[in-house]
Amino acid sequence: MAGIESDLLQGTLDVLILKALALQELHGMGISRRIGQMTNGTFDVKPGSLFPALHRMEEAGWLTSNWGQAETNRRAKFYALTRTGRKQLQTETERWARISFAMAAALGIGQEAL
Amino acid sequence: MISRLRALWNNAFHRKQLDRDLDEELEAYVELVAAEKLQAGMGPEEAHSYARRQTGGKDQVVQNVRDVRTGVWLDRLLQDVHFGVRTLAKNPTFFLIAVGTLALGIGANSAMFSLLDQVVLRLLPVRHPEQLVIVKEAGNHYGNSFGPNTMSWPMFEDLRDRNQVFSEMFCRFPASLAIGYHDQTVQIPAELVSSAYFQTLGVEAVLGRTIGRDDDSIPDGKPVVVLSYSFWQSYFGGDRNAIGRTISLNGYVMTVIGVVQPGFDGLELGVPAKVFVPIMMKTEMTPHSDGLKDRRRRLSWVTTYGRLKPGISMKQAQASLQPLLHSILEMEVQQPEFTRSATAADREPFLRNRIELLPGSDSDLREYMRRPLWILLALTAAVLLLACANLANLLLARATSREKEFAVRLAIGAGRVRIVRQLLVESLLLSGAGAVVGLTLAYVADRILLRIYLPADATVEFVVSPIPDGRMLAFTLGVMLLTSLAFGLLPAMGASRTEITLALKDRSGAASAGGMSLRRLLVSIQVALSLLLLVGAGLFVRTLRNLENVGSGFPTDHLLTFATAPTLSGYSFAETKSYYDRLNVNLETMPGVTSVGFSTMPILRGYAWQNAIVGKDFEGTPIEQQPVLSQVSPNYFATLGIPIVAGRAFSTQDVAPTDYAVVNESFAKEYFPGRNPLGQRFGLVSDSESVTPKTEVIGVIPDRKYRDLRETPPPQAYFPYLADSNVRGMTVYVRTQADPRQFKDALRERMRQFDPHVAVVDLQTVSEQIGFSLRTERLVAGLSAVFGCVAMLLAVIGLYGVMAYAVLRRTREIGIRIALGALRSNVIAMIMREVLLLIGSGLAAGGALALVLVNLIHSQLYGLNARDPLTFIGSAIVLASAAGLAGFIPALRASGVDPTTALRQE
Repeated sequence: MAGIESDLLQGTLDVLILKALALQELHGMGISRRIGQMTNGTFDVKPGSLFPALHRMEEAGWLTSNWGQAETNRRAKFYALTRTGRKQLQTETERWARISFAMAAALGIGQEAL
Repeated sequence: MISRLRALWNNAFHRKQLDRDLDEELEAYVELVAAEKLQAGMGPEEAHSYARRQTGGKDQVVQNVRDVRTGVWLDRLLQDVHFGVRTLAKNPTFFLIAVGTLALGIGANSAMFSLLDQVVLRLLPVRHPEQLVIVKEAGNHYGNSFGPNTMSWPMFEDLRDRNQVFSEMFCRFPASLAIGYHDQTVQIPAELVSSAYFQTLGVEAVLGRTIGRDDDSIPDGKPVVVLSYSFWQSYFGGDRNAIGRTISLNGYVMTVIGVVQPGFDGLELGVPAKVFVPIMMKTEMTPHSDGLKDRRRRLSWVTTYGRLKPGISMKQAQASLQPLLHSILEMEVQQPEFTRSATAADREPFLRNRIELLPGSDSDLREYMRRPLWILLALTAAVLLLACANLANLLLARATSREKEFAVRLAIGAGRVRIVRQLLVESLLLSGAGAVVGLTLAYVADRILLRIYLPADATVEFVVSPIPDGRMLAFTLGVMLLTSLAFGLLPAMGASRTEITLALKDRSGAASAGGMSLRRLLVSIQVALSLLLLVGAGLFVRTLRNLENVGSGFPTDHLLTFATAPTLSGYSFAETKSYYDRLNVNLETMPGVTSVGFSTMPILRGYAWQNAIVGKDFEGTPIEQQPVLSQVSPNYFATLGIPIVAGRAFSTQDVAPTDYAVVNESFAKEYFPGRNPLGQRFGLVSDSESVTPKTEVIGVIPDRKYRDLRETPPPQAYFPYLADSNVRGMTVYVRTQADPRQFKDALRERMRQFDPHVAVVDLQTVSEQIGFSLRTERLVAGLSAVFGCVAMLLAVIGLYGVMAYAVLRRTREIGIRIALGALRSNVIAMIMREVLLLIGSGLAAGGALALVLVNLIHSQLYGLNARDPLTFIGSAIVLASAAGLAGFIPALRASGVDPTTALRQE
């Protein structure tokens, strides 16, 4: 599995976390696994970057957290999007769409496929 | 935003809980990963260790989370403060020395700033004070003038009615009014104000109303008065029924119509007005002097103010008023009162008069105190700078001994920025403590200074207060921050450059040489600054000495003085004349009195009555050279102890107006050169009639100072008192047999019995009066001497510290030298060479700087050159000997190094 460290691009991790939480609330490990799924294993987020990001985003008001039961009946901290977080996800998605389109065009990725 | 604040709050106050939660969250993560692996078929041991490896060091994760918490900088700052306090507490001696030095430096600056701010910088307590300007007609006057900022009433009216730049204009005239207080009469300061005064200033009445247009439309029309808040408190005891009651001012019944808002005492700093009267009541308030009704354009007496229209700058207003003034002046020179009293030569310069606008807060006291207070603030700033240099030196020495600590911290991963910040926090703690102590010192110092500086009866109401206000606190905070940077930055930067590998090896004091050259530089700067302060102190002290030595030119011991103005109590001219005749007899027969003299003009109080004169051989007098005049009693010269060098003094028979005159030698030399002045004649130029020179010189006195001690005696002419029928008041001089200070109460009682209706003003000995007139010089001389000594002490301590340290570092080397046969005297010479180099470079730099900077204090000196060689060389010698002595002690110690012990060190 080709893991890419999450600080590859400024803001990549934030938008991935937001996206991971878009459908349901998750605990830290769950978020890490969800991001792995979503990116087909390209991003393997380590706790050393995951947890600072989660706490930072919670303090910024994008996420809320509460304690709940994990699958093993263990107490775990679950994160969910706030209204601000949802709005942020939308803004970020649009931004990323623009960037990826521009990058693809610049690097000629689309043409190769043709 | 709200979530941020909540986070900040939680991070600050629920840390423990947050850390526990984080711990549990990470535990959960590890277990969940392990559980996942278990499910995938791993053994429990293996699964757990895999999970832990995956997490990658829990402490590191915890630290990473902490680093992104909101307010982490605050957290770190608190850590730094905590650590700083612990470090400083470890060395209380250092802490006390540092805080003490800083407290003195910061306190002195705050004290001076507080005075400067209140006396010179602050604007008036009125609405939009920055729009308020004094309108001054600068240039030559050709008539009577009540001061440089005054103009005539018709000129004020013309400017008020025809200008385009002011939204409103008003004028004022300060006056002393007589009022009955219990069983005696006193004089109180008052302002006569034109109708727009209060409205323009935006000053309101707290009770009743202020003066309005209706009160100030017809001369003598409305005998009304507005009281200052403090006068209402003291005279009416704050009685709210005071409105509508009457008080008697100069014997006129005036109705109280209002009380102004507290804190407003008129526009003259240091002379708080107690009552405000419409200027249309001028005749009643200043009897027998009426520039309002006779509308003479040559009598300047009102101070004029304008409020600039929005968007108009002072410069624009000045430019716009200039043509207006010129057209008015063109009209004035056509009038007979000008052509009669001014010479043809006066006309051109007079037409070049111009409008100058000054800030509305300007006043005589402000003008007078501006330079001395700025000088004192500059001196205190220099002292603080010196103190900073000393502390920087101390901190550099400390940094050397703490090198190991820094190296260890760097080695275990602290950033260099963190170390700089840590040291700056320590500096800030020091200067913060210094500022707190300094503020207390400043309060005490200001109290003492105000008490010394102000006359005893003025302190109660004077607007300058020693209590720190917001502006002073802000200033102190700013000084504190700058100070901590000034003394902390260099050592901190140096410490952050610590070489880890070198420092961790035990080198026992063989510290890098880089710090030493910096410390030498600081010592040289200290020597330079203290030379600057010593030179300043020397110049100011010698100025004061010179002024005290020139003295008044007559014996001032056993001389008392006071003033009375019977016309303020409603006396007519005839009654006033009889009052002084009787007073003369009454006082001369008082036991203990040797002699009594009267004069219309008080001497050495800054006042002068000047007038142009004409003679047979000279026509008119250019305005700048008009002689100063006075009317005196027959015994005046004898009472003051001024000899008659030719001719005679007045006798009681010399009563005809301006028949006879006594002049001084300068007058004789100026107007009757090469001739015997006795019998020569001259006349006083008048604007109402043409004059023939008929006043005969009957006596000549030597030159004596007249306005103040600094002046070169001007030409003076004296006329017999009471000869002119318009005497309004006199200054009385009484020579006593015994100590005049013991005589004051008896004299005051005698005056009360003689006439309780006439106020006795400024009763004091002439020595006290002269001493008081030198109070600013004394303040500057005293403080600069103190600052100079403190500066020298700091420099000497600094030099000693650096040299002692240098010798300590070189003990081994010196030991080797001695072992190899160097003589003790060689060692002393070697160290002293270094000492003298430090002192010499400091003196050279300080001397050069002083030679330039003395230009700024030039105007404050008297009787010596600003580059006075004696002061410069003397200061340098004193400083060099003190510093040389301080350097000699380490040199002597170096020469006593025992080679065997020195070599065994390390």
